Amino acid sequence: MARFQTVFVAVFVGTALVVASFLLHKARPAEEVREPSAQMVKATGKCVSCHRRETGAVVHQFEKSRHARKGVTCLDCHRPVAGQEKREHRGFVITRDPTSANCRTCHKTQYEQFRRSRHGAPAWAAVKGREPFTEKQIAFAEKHHPGAVDRPANKLAQLEGPAAMSEGCASCHSIGRPNPDGSIGECTKCHGRHRTSLKLARLPRTCGQCHMGPDHAQLEIYQESKHGVLFNAQRDEMNLDARPQRLTTEDMPVPTCATCHMSGLEGEGVTHDVGERLSWYLFAPVSEKRDHYEIAQREMQAICMKCHAESQVEGFYEGAESVLASTNEKVRHVRSVMDGLNEAGLLTEAPFDEPIEFTYFDFWHYYGRTAKHGAFMGGADFVQWHGNYELLLKKIKIEHAAKKLHGHPATRPHEESADDAESPR
Amino acid sequence: MPSLPDEWWRRWRQWRWLVLEAFVIANLAFLALDIALAHSFNRFAHPAEWIPLAFSLAAPPLLVGLAAAAGGRPPAGASRWIGLATGALAIAVGVAGMLWHLESAFFRERTLESLIYSAPFVAPLAYAGLGFLILLNRMVPTGTAEWARWIVFFAAGGFVGNFGLSLADHAQNGFFDPLEWIPVVSGAFAVGFLAVGVVARALPPLLWACAVVMAIQVVVGLLGAGLHVVAVLETPAQGWLGPVIYGAPPFAPLLFVDLALLAAIGLADLAAEAPREPALAPEGAG
Repeated sequence: MARFQTVFVAVFVGTALVVASFLLHKARPAEEVREPSAQMVKATGKCVSCHRRETGAVVHQFEKSRHARKGVTCLDCHRPVAGQEKREHRGFVITRDPTSANCRTCHKTQYEQFRRSRHGAPAWAAVKGREPFTEKQIAFAEKHHPGAVDRPANKLAQLEGPAAMSEGCASCHSIGRPNPDGSIGECTKCHGRHRTSLKLARLPRTCGQCHMGPDHAQLEIYQESKHGVLFNAQRDEMNLDARPQRLTTEDMPVPTCATCHMSGLEGEGVTHDVGERLSWYLFAPVSEKRDHYEIAQREMQAICMKCHAESQVEGFYEGAESVLASTNEKVRHVRSVMDGLNEAGLLTEAPFDEPIEFTYFDFWHYYGRTAKHGAFMGGADFVQWHGNYELLLKKIKIEHAAKKLHGHPATRPHEESADDAESPR
Repeated sequence: MPSLPDEWWRRWRQWRWLVLEAFVIANLAFLALDIALAHSFNRFAHPAEWIPLAFSLAAPPLLVGLAAAAGGRPPAGASRWIGLATGALAIAVGVAGMLWHLESAFFRERTLESLIYSAPFVAPLAYAGLGFLILLNRMVPTGTAEWARWIVFFAAGGFVGNFGLSLADHAQNGFFDPLEWIPVVSGAFAVGFLAVGVVARALPPLLWACAVVMAIQVVVGLLGAGLHVVAVLETPAQGWLGPVIYGAPPFAPLLFVDLALLAAIGLADLAAEAPREPALAPEGAG
């Protein structure tokens, strides 16, 4: 027996090591190992081992994300889907540029809502026209937004040149660009790339990356509004990471853009179609009701009424629609002045080659929109000084300039051209 | 072993120093290729990554020259000191390499996960092990139980590394294929048997058991190499070099074969010198 004692000891040591290995493996977090392939398991840590040094911020962003907490790996999002260029990268096959097609593999409903929204193809077509899209994509978009994609490229952007178009217009409008894989858009515009954050998408500043400035001053209007003021005062007390389907007014007692336009506040339906609750085409020179006007208004008002009384909401809409009607009337009038000039052959057919065309463009595109957006978002100063005051000023200038062009000088000789004059504000 | 002819043992005693020296030289030379591939993973991002490659290219010819000059016997005088310095340098390369590998992730975030995904921290210790073997072959006379037991000790140490590396490397893909447990189990028993072989009296049952376990390591190593080659062939990358660098390391399983050979040298010498072994425990105890 003694001759075999050492063999038993050796077997015991070996067995102990094996058992320890199994126990160690069993103690490993399940989400790390429960993956459909060995590559997917490996991606949980292998990518990080290099990228922590090479692009560390990306790793830190991802580690703080809900995706990371739920066991999503780098390869889940970077795995090429049909139509994407496959790139070999240190033992993995990846796509360097994930698109909404990658997000769609898990978030199909959100993608479909997004695709039919104006954040989809219409956003890109507003700059590039129909040319970059397939017939199928055009047909789909036109079904939801007639005339928004089957249209020529933006004439003003073309005049400004390709650099302005790519580094300016496209930066925002690429939210609806057609991707080589056939999908539309970039989810990361609002959610960020590696943090894929709900909180980020709920911050007004995020929407305000694009929805700001003279052509659609939503961020500025929001900041001026009571909503914006309260948000800035209370944001630290808010739970901006709350799940969309379970979002309550306790989480967000003050709304941001996403709350009103997209959220499932207190049981309302969540949507990634940002136009779903909009009842008017506010961006148009003369605003018209959207096809789903009543449903949209009912849905938006349902959100309003999580905080406001029904009578208060109705009163608010009544006031906003009165500004809209008044703005429509002003735009129609000035448009008729411009039409008169065109009919008389006093303007060239080329777009944006005469000062009065810019004045008219500013009239509806800046100040008309601003007045309407201000009214619907509670921004009084934007209804008045940034909106209606400028509408009045530009109307007078256009009328005077038109009279001059018609051969009825309405200004004294020492007065400069109306179009060149600066606003007193 | 009693069953082997005396002539075999006589020849073994004549050549054992050179056999161990050849083992060390061959391993150092092969490490040049291994390091070249391993450090290609990050394209030799840190200049220090060239050090082991340079050492592996320089040391083998030097050791071959020294051994040839000494006629295949333990060198003396200056040659011995050059050999000892080479061994010490190999140890330094190995220890520094381990620290650098740990620094790649583990020292920043001291978790088991970072240990799994950091550069293989045990791997550089191959240099330290070979360095110690160089020292051993010059400081401990052959024909002593100490020489043989040190060899078995270093083989056991190597299998500790094999056990740890196969556990950590295969943990990277979560032991997705159950076959990945084979080297872990195999390595664990190799550690158990060789560890006991270091300290226990070299009795035939233990020596035979160790020999069988080492034979199994050879099979496991060859099987592993085959499976790794298959995995490499399935690795998505262009050309042949990419899969070899980024896929399952095809040479890694051969370390089981390599260390089994090292253990065999020590075990053979223990068997050859068994009659001289002092009794570590009284017969019949236990």
